[in-house]
Amino acid sequence: MPWQHITLMSLALPVLAEPMLFELQIKDHLFHPSVLYVPAGEKIKLLVLNQDPSPEEFESFSLNREKVILGNSKATLFIGPLQPGRYQFFGEYNPDSAQGVLIALPEAQWQQHRADNAN
Amino acid sequence: MRLFPSLLYIVSGALTLLVSGHSLADGRVVDKVYHPYVQALERSIEYRYFYQRQADHPDNNTMGQKLGYGFSVAERAALEIYLIADRVSPEDYKLSGYELELRWMLTEQGQYSADWGMLFELERQNNQDNYEFTTGLLMEKEFGPTSLTLNALAVYEWGKTLNSEWEAEFRAQYRYRWRPAIQPAIELYVGENYKGAGPSLMGVHKFDKQKQLKWELAVIMAIDNDTVDRTLRFALEYEF
Repeated sequence: MPWQHITLMSLALPVLAEPMLFELQIKDHLFHPSVLYVPAGEKIKLLVLNQDPSPEEFESFSLNREKVILGNSKATLFIGPLQPGRYQFFGEYNPDSAQGVLIALPEAQWQQHRADNAN
Repeated sequence: MRLFPSLLYIVSGALTLLVSGHSLADGRVVDKVYHPYVQALERSIEYRYFYQRQADHPDNNTMGQKLGYGFSVAERAALEIYLIADRVSPEDYKLSGYELELRWMLTEQGQYSADWGMLFELERQNNQDNYEFTTGLLMEKEFGPTSLTLNALAVYEWGKTLNSEWEAEFRAQYRYRWRPAIQPAIELYVGENYKGAGPSLMGVHKFDKQKQLKWELAVIMAIDNDTVDRTLRFALEYEF
């Protein structure tokens, strides 16, 4: 069996676990929230809701993602698993105003963050 | 959507088996390594150049250029139209053909363990009534700050001065996303009478909002005796 065949076979295996869902809104060319906490080490699903009538592009070099979200529309991004740290993102159509940061927390800090927000 | 990985595995396996066999293609092999992504509302003007060098090799001094205009036609599909100019010694440099290209993004980036797309290209050679149809799979997989991109392509040629035949091409690129403007990579190309690999460098510079310039430069060297020694590849893409 050629090596390319083996490589592609291993790359084609689907991921079955459903990733944790997070939501980000765009309104008046701003991201809400502008700081988003997520768990490190696991894939997440990010639903971006654009409430402006004009399109916006979620872009982040450190996250290796870019995605156009049409006006009054939504898009889903799949991110990670991430190393703990800060990942800047911005709106390519309105880079001066639409800015945010995604913070990936290690397990213990993530559990603490969830507990704090549950109270 | 979960049917995709299984189906794609079968198709990609078949294509890669083709690549590993004997190939008789007549076209150029060193070209862009395609990523499987399409952005809605994208528009671009693209220029590509390649030049091959080895004294006493039939492909010595061969040069090719492509000028393209691309635009998305749906959230997951983009079209690009190219003018192609070539110089194949001993002939003069000339406008040699036209090409229509469709890229189709099959899966959302990061949704599965790898991201998948498809490529369809139809090229007509000027004044010769020769055609070339290319199709295949585009795959990209993230490994931390690096990305592996694979293109497994099947090519069918036919026309007045060509024997009708199927061929296969394989392109690979392993890229380190160091910083937006500078991303080093290594590339591998396998196709008709060609097996080459070498370093490449690429990047993107943003001007304003969605206006940006992407650039790529690669020097591909032969890894067998039949392949022309050195191929220079250069590309510029202005997105707006």
